[in-house]
Amino acid sequence: MAGALTERDFVEKLEKAGFEQIEVHHREPVSVDDLALYPLFTPELIQLMRTLIPSEREAAVATSVVITARRA
Amino acid sequence: MHTDELKAVVRDAYTAIDSSTEAIAYKLYSPHELAQVPRSAVEGALGVGNHLRFAQIEEGETVLDLGCGAGIDSVLAARRTGPTGQMIALDFLPEMVERTSAAAAEARLANIETLEAEMEAIPLADESVDHVISNGVINLSARKRRVLAECARVLGPGGKLSLSDLTVGDEELPPEVLLHPATWAG
Repeated sequence: MAGALTERDFVEKLEKAGFEQIEVHHREPVSVDDLALYPLFTPELIQLMRTLIPSEREAAVATSVVITARRA
Repeated sequence: MHTDELKAVVRDAYTAIDSSTEAIAYKLYSPHELAQVPRSAVEGALGVGNHLRFAQIEEGETVLDLGCGAGIDSVLAARRTGPTGQMIALDFLPEMVERTSAAAAEARLANIETLEAEMEAIPLADESVDHVISNGVINLSARKRRVLAECARVLGPGGKLSLSDLTVGDEELPPEVLLHPATWAG
């Protein structure tokens, strides 16, 4: 997740790579609780997130997006 | 984080997983979808979305799954492209390639070919693929522009790209979180 782009940057990179008809079909907030389902995020990291991330932000630390595009 | 360092972090994190992640599959996929997938693939789900609901996969297409993992999306897409199509399941981790191969065999899908390779250097010919799919892996690459250029190269004109991935907002997470190796792997 540390390497994730903003949606704007992701779409821009797709355009630069030669894609068009780029559509973002779905956006889903990803909470710290959601991340805890993934063993890739260690219990230590999840605890660190719960400690350091303001509670009002824990419900949306990232966004899962579904994107479709066509090569020009 | 540099490319080699990032790959090592991702490799270590993915190969260390020793528990079922079926809760992720139940969150992202419908019972109808999960009924089409071997149990091993359900228990190894690590995707972040369900782009297959929006992907227009036609019979006979050649589909490339970037970062196939345990194979859940590869199996679902292979069923849609059918026996006249081809599913190419790519992952840079041999453990994941083996899991997808096993899932394909269990599902009796002869149209899934696995490929151990990096998404930054896809060993396929130009314009040899109709559709690229990917679930939660592009954010793991330190060379995203290269990955997307490779997707464009292997697709023919009009070729389709359907993906799920994580994005972040403009406000950064605390540095202690951002710099933690597990934040780069997940």
